Amino acid sequence: MMPNDIFAMYAAKVADYLVAVAFLLLFIPFWRFVNVPSAAGEIALAPVRRLLDQFAGWFVLPEHAYFHPGHGWARFDDGQFVTVGMDDFAQKLVGDLSAVSLPAPGSRVEQGERGWSLTTPEAKSIDMLSPVEGTVVAVNERVVASPEVVRSDPYGDGWLFKVRATRPRANQNQLLSGTLAKRWMEEATDAIQRMISPELGRVLQDGGMPVHGIARSLDAEKWDELCRRFFLTEVRHARGETF
Amino acid sequence: MQLMAETAAPRFWIQDKLLMGFTPGEYLRSLLTPFNAVAGVILLVGLPVIAYRYLYGLGAATNLSQTNPWGLWIGFDVLCGVALAAGGYTLASTVYLFGLKQYYPVVRAAVLTGFLGYFFVVVGLLVDLGRPWRLPYPVIYSYGFTSVMFLVAWCVLLYFTVLFLEFSPAVFEWLGWKNVRRRAVKLTIGATVLGVVLSTSHQSALGALFLIAPRKLHPLWYSPLIPVYFFISSIAAGLTMVIVESMLSHKIFHDETHPQRAVDLDGITLGLGKAASVVLFTYFFLKLLGLAEEGHWDLLNTAMGSWYLVELIGFVLAPCFVLAFAVRAQNANWVRAGAVLTVIGIIVNRLNVAVVAFNWNVPDRYFPSAMEVITTVTIVTLGILTFRWIVNRMPILHEDPQYGTEH
Repeated sequence: MMPNDIFAMYAAKVADYLVAVAFLLLFIPFWRFVNVPSAAGEIALAPVRRLLDQFAGWFVLPEHAYFHPGHGWARFDDGQFVTVGMDDFAQKLVGDLSAVSLPAPGSRVEQGERGWSLTTPEAKSIDMLSPVEGTVVAVNERVVASPEVVRSDPYGDGWLFKVRATRPRANQNQLLSGTLAKRWMEEATDAIQRMISPELGRVLQDGGMPVHGIARSLDAEKWDELCRRFFLTEVRHARGETF
Repeated sequence: MQLMAETAAPRFWIQDKLLMGFTPGEYLRSLLTPFNAVAGVILLVGLPVIAYRYLYGLGAATNLSQTNPWGLWIGFDVLCGVALAAGGYTLASTVYLFGLKQYYPVVRAAVLTGFLGYFFVVVGLLVDLGRPWRLPYPVIYSYGFTSVMFLVAWCVLLYFTVLFLEFSPAVFEWLGWKNVRRRAVKLTIGATVLGVVLSTSHQSALGALFLIAPRKLHPLWYSPLIPVYFFISSIAAGLTMVIVESMLSHKIFHDETHPQRAVDLDGITLGLGKAASVVLFTYFFLKLLGLAEEGHWDLLNTAMGSWYLVELIGFVLAPCFVLAFAVRAQNANWVRAGAVLTVIGIIVNRLNVAVVAFNWNVPDRYFPSAMEVITTVTIVTLGILTFRWIVNRMPILHEDPQYGTEH
């Protein structure tokens, strides 16, 4: 073999190895590139993800709120002050309200005890439990005047009253938030779905959101069952219906 | 149309199955569309041209010669047809062997594309060979064990049978033959395994045909790795062809699809696009390896070298990056654009190997005649019309409600 041939052969082999090494070095970053969504895509999706994270089943569950099993929520503001309201599940379950009876400023509420009452156009009155204990310092007059505010914005303009909590940290520890709250709400959604279709068990509805006033689509017996089960209270019928 | 078939009074089988529930008069009136008019003109011109080829021979109908025995029919109809029909085995193995069931919505259409692709490859081959009665010869009479063409013939025959087995459940669902359909479904996994083995064989064998002509194929395209190139590029061709076909099918046949399919298609497209980009990346480096092995870097500075770089960079590397960026940005439309570029690239590569770079240095250069072009366009039109006929009647883009998710 001539020296030129050997040189040409080695040059070809060097080129081969360089190509092979280049492939191996570049393949891993290429693979990672196609497997990781871009920052732009991530940014574009972030608002969607944030929105979706706020949903548990059919109902909105914002990050900043803490939830009582009776479907009241609490937002721990500066210091000892806590804002209280009813969650999206409660307002969708009950539907239209004719009145919301709030505790008077200066009165005391206890965690897990009756906090406020809802009255429906059918004169059904439902108590809801307070998520925190303390002294009521302010009530939302707008909700008293126009109860439909609770329906449109249960976590914002639809707040019910503010409390100076005596033991905010202890109260907070008793409430649900984050993943636990999400799971709890999803279980509540499942329970509602089973109630809607008891013969079929849990079925997948054909998309869409639940109708406003879910309980109105059920009869009086199930309405009582729903209240006791979900709000942990009893239904009181307004005077005039009992005889 | 399906609602009409279900709710109207009992019909004859022909009206229900073949005329899609229309009366003969209604069916004929439904054929009056611009697309059908163009297709009709193509067939009116093309079928007599094919007949002319058979009556008066290759010399009268083509620009083929002893120097250039292979032209557009082999380069496009056969080589491109086989490569682009690779969607059948790639999607079948993806779904049935690798278990990626999320791609099931497109597997039937991919298998149908493969089945019809190979069928019309054989049609194109018969037009080129000229003695169709000799088609069974490699099987029953003249074996030719030392010929790569023998391997190709057997592989295509067996793979065509496999494709029919994979496609047959859709036919039996259409006919309502439940028991036969059940047995056909049981054969799917075995047929898929056989299909992958056979495809590996004949996809690479078509490239191996050129190994015996090292001085006829331009050095930049010739390589001992050419069988590997053909096989790897067929995977990319199959994946991107499924993307293109599903994009067109769901636009044109949207009333045949379930509304939810429109939502799933983007996810499927992104997944296939990711796989195609990885395959193209690998293919690019394999081509570089072949270039390095042969050492013909100096030829890149010639006219043919420039064309080689156009093919390699413009139709391999560029679609690879288009697909990669599109997948990363989760943009299905850009994936589709990359897929179209890849399909064009495969066609360019096969035509380069069979026509442009073949006998590149002889004075008697080949250029297809008008009749060859008309024949190719006619065969492609027949393929599209057959695809449409089947999709309009059989459960290809949608599932037969009787069988639901029985897979």
